[in-house]
Amino acid sequence: MASVFKPKNLLAAAGVVALALSTAACGGGGDDSASGGSSAKNFSFLAINENTTIASTLTTLSQKECATQNTAQPLDIKKQAQASLDQQLQLLAGQGALPQLFTAANAPSLTSQLADNGTVLDAAAVSTGVQPAASSVIKALYDGKQLVLPTELNIEGIWYNKKLLADNGITTPPATWDDLVAAFAKLQAAGVQPISAAGKGGDGWGVTRWVGNYILRQQGPDALKKVADGQAKLTDPQYVAGADAIAALGKAGYFGKSPTSIDYATALNTFLTGKAAFIYMGSWALSDFNDESKNKIGADNVGFLKFPTVAGGAGTADQTPANVGTAIAISKKAYENDTNTQAWVKCIVDNYGTVALRDSSQITGFKTDAAVEVPALTKQIQDEIAGVQTSVLWFEAYFSAKATTVSQGNGGLLGGGQLTGEKFMQTVTSNLS
Amino acid sequence: MPAAPAAGIRTKGRIQRMHSVLGDRKSVAILLGPALLVYSLVMLLPMLWSLGYTFFTGSVISGFTWAGTANFSKLLDDPALPGALWFTVKYAVVITVGQVLVGYLLSLLYVFFLRRAGSIVRTLVFFPVILPTVAVALLFQKFFEFAPQTGPVNAAIEAFGGTGIDWFSTPGNAFFVVALMDIWRSMGFYAVLLYAGLLDIPDEVMEAASIDGASTWRLIRSIIVPLSLPVLVSSLVFSINGTLKAFDSIYALTGGGPGSATTPLTLYMYQTSFAYGDYGYGSTIALTLTALCLLVTVFIFRGTRRDTGLG
Amino acid sequence: MTLTTEPTTPAPAVTKRRPARNRNVGRTLRRLPGHALVGLLLLVVAYPLIWLFLGSFKTQDEFLNKPTTSLPESFTNFANYTQAWSSVATYLQNSLLTVLPSLALIIVLGTAAGFALEVLVWKGRQTTLMLFLAGIMIPGQMILLPLFTVYFQLHLTGTLWPLIITYTATGLPLTVFMMATYFRAIPKTVFEAATMDGASVIRSFWSIGFPMMRNSVLTIALVQFFFLWNDLLIALTFTTDDAQRTVQVGLLNFTGQFGVVEYGPTFAAICINVLLILAIYIFLNQRVMRGLAAGAVKG
Repeated sequence: MASVFKPKNLLAAAGVVALALSTAACGGGGDDSASGGSSAKNFSFLAINENTTIASTLTTLSQKECATQNTAQPLDIKKQAQASLDQQLQLLAGQGALPQLFTAANAPSLTSQLADNGTVLDAAAVSTGVQPAASSVIKALYDGKQLVLPTELNIEGIWYNKKLLADNGITTPPATWDDLVAAFAKLQAAGVQPISAAGKGGDGWGVTRWVGNYILRQQGPDALKKVADGQAKLTDPQYVAGADAIAALGKAGYFGKSPTSIDYATALNTFLTGKAAFIYMGSWALSDFNDESKNKIGADNVGFLKFPTVAGGAGTADQTPANVGTAIAISKKAYENDTNTQAWVKCIVDNYGTVALRDSSQITGFKTDAAVEVPALTKQIQDEIAGVQTSVLWFEAYFSAKATTVSQGNGGLLGGGQLTGEKFMQTVTSNLS
Repeated sequence: MPAAPAAGIRTKGRIQRMHSVLGDRKSVAILLGPALLVYSLVMLLPMLWSLGYTFFTGSVISGFTWAGTANFSKLLDDPALPGALWFTVKYAVVITVGQVLVGYLLSLLYVFFLRRAGSIVRTLVFFPVILPTVAVALLFQKFFEFAPQTGPVNAAIEAFGGTGIDWFSTPGNAFFVVALMDIWRSMGFYAVLLYAGLLDIPDEVMEAASIDGASTWRLIRSIIVPLSLPVLVSSLVFSINGTLKAFDSIYALTGGGPGSATTPLTLYMYQTSFAYGDYGYGSTIALTLTALCLLVTVFIFRGTRRDTGLG
Repeated sequence: MTLTTEPTTPAPAVTKRRPARNRNVGRTLRRLPGHALVGLLLLVVAYPLIWLFLGSFKTQDEFLNKPTTSLPESFTNFANYTQAWSSVATYLQNSLLTVLPSLALIIVLGTAAGFALEVLVWKGRQTTLMLFLAGIMIPGQMILLPLFTVYFQLHLTGTLWPLIITYTATGLPLTVFMMATYFRAIPKTVFEAATMDGASVIRSFWSIGFPMMRNSVLTIALVQFFFLWNDLLIALTFTTDDAQRTVQVGLLNFTGQFGVVEYGPTFAAICINVLLILAIYIFLNQRVMRGLAAGAVKG
């Protein structure tokens, strides 16, 4: 047995270990700038991989419009996967270590919690350049408080392929639910996929938005708020009817072959390559609509339709679903004692809107320089947004994080016709508490 | 694997001398100390810390408030728990048996069929082990794609006249793909592990088994399997240790869907603690998982004691 | 590149294995199903890998709009590789810098502890072994929050240390338990004799026990490497900065706006990883795999 032992080998192994350990010590020694102390070295921003616009806009700002602020406190962007954002925010907040600027949590309730214990700044005081429309959307979402900066301001609706509709004899865009469903039937019969919708995992909002909007059109703009306030239940018959209406579309196969296997990118691509006639989408997708390499049907071929009215319903088509999409929040602790950070935030509020619109076709809730030239479709949506009188929130807006996950996770099954409206509402309700 | 051949040398019933040179306290401290210290500080202490949270409600943000046994009564009423628990057990059993069984068959193939020529095959089959989980998940999503593109698997089914299957839309099919993926990526690993064990079996036995073709299978059953039992048990321990706590592959492949049909306790606990911000209840779910692991480990521990202890 | 060689198969055995001439034909026939089986096996393993490689040359447009089984339009489209290379090098370095030191620590500490628990004789060792065993049951999620707090307080956040420490600790229970089991099979007289000869216990562990366990050490190292290399949970929790991402977390990063998976660069990144790992592997192969298959403890 002793013959097995070779000192040389062991020595070599020990050498490798020692080397690895020492390099680990060196390689690991990154800078430690995450803590937002009283005069932070860097202006840190916690971004998510899934949104590149904010990071690139901030980088542009740091090079030009906010160069002075950037010299005093250089911009430092860290990225997280969106799926682990809420976890990171909780862990960092638990340590009082949130960076100055961070992507607002996926669940609005988490941002509200952070505000309740004083970690998130109520940005009302710094939001002088924020449009009233954006403010009202934010306040509706965060219980009257302006907790985030509107790096996006979106309206949502049904986008359609003008040519596909015309080719199939649908000359006027459907204005009521019945017209819309008739159009779906017509397209389906002609072998055209009526709706492109994502329903894979968390992308199930592509289906649940239809449910929420149907309920709002039928029951009136405060229908979902009533559920949140406990005056109504999602399992009440009039709410179940909304889910059933969408389940019926699913049963008929209008959402395409298998919504559960379609993710966001695929759904959008299906529409942009002319393989589906309608898609429910927010105006954040304008940059894709205006991108010729992605949009094969042409930007002037894309039409925007407000979510139609439901016969006998209490809601109207001009009650527009709006949101601030991926927004950013400010750490109260880091902001209040740090003049450099305050200067940075002011510069962002003043300039972000113009740069994002100019470089990324992103409509934001900030004021913009009127001189920015935008594509026709963007201009049309800008006007739509400016004309919004009443805005409404999406289906899960008042839900807990858990119910949101459950709702969106089951959306695909609803759109695939595998769940009845009643079962869907029951599943969501049991997770609402 | 040393356990099997060395067992014969072992002197049974030898009286242990308590005051032998092997009882030096300082040596015990030097050899055991570092491991025990790291383990206690980084695993035991945090676990106790987390167990304490089971009596609290709240999160790091809203602060923790005393909840008594509220979390435990919530556990009993939780409609999502039985599903997650059942999935965990089902997953652990199917994957563990699958991994070890396929690995063992492969190792037998290596030993009896490929022999020395098999190194390239062994390497190739081992390869998926070093592919990142995220990559494998992406691969399988694409392979089993149903819409809008038809993945190779469905293309093959359709070529043979069948109709394509929407793999990720029903619980049964999704589980099948998850299981297939986990077995695919780890079979080469267990094959090498078991192969190394088979090589420890005396050559004469292997010779007899491989030359006398007619009775190969009988020999495998009555001689090879019993002889490689310790290695098999080790493999089972390795495997169940991973599968009961499986998180990455499911998280990356199905995200727990469709609905919550492929959500194991680990994923449910992770969501509850970090996405839903209920750390107290999350810890309570983790406690359930820990109890489950405890049962299994004690079961296996007894098994290994008997198998390798008596050889 | 070979995974395992069989250097210990004695030469005479090979001659003995050679079958008699008259049995050759029947034997070839009988081996046919075996060949088919190996062929199928190679197909099942290799095809996805080849497909992955082909995918690394495809553009996003090809991924979305061409059949999954189609060949890439251009084999000289290295744009994916250029895009992937910039970040993959860092991810790979981080993975190696965390996994290798952890692995070394796990092996050294774990084997020593296994030796102390099984070979040495002292009161309370059974209880201590059970304590380690308990660690096998602890789910990783359970220790994340307390550890995050502690690492932060110690100012370790932002370095690779949280990963190395956590990996080492999570790898120990199984290693200690398995090592103890392996040591059990070796007669204590071996160590007693050595110690009587004047060597200290520590020395007899280091010069007899550890080398004797080489096979088992390699087996466990392989198992732990597999677990650590594929870890997503711990790495996801303790890294916030791109500079500390491991391969697993890094790959999640190849997503664009709204989580659109950029398949081309992702596949290219995977291919780069695989090739580099392969290089390291060939380098280590001789030593590691020979040891694994050698059966050094035999007889």
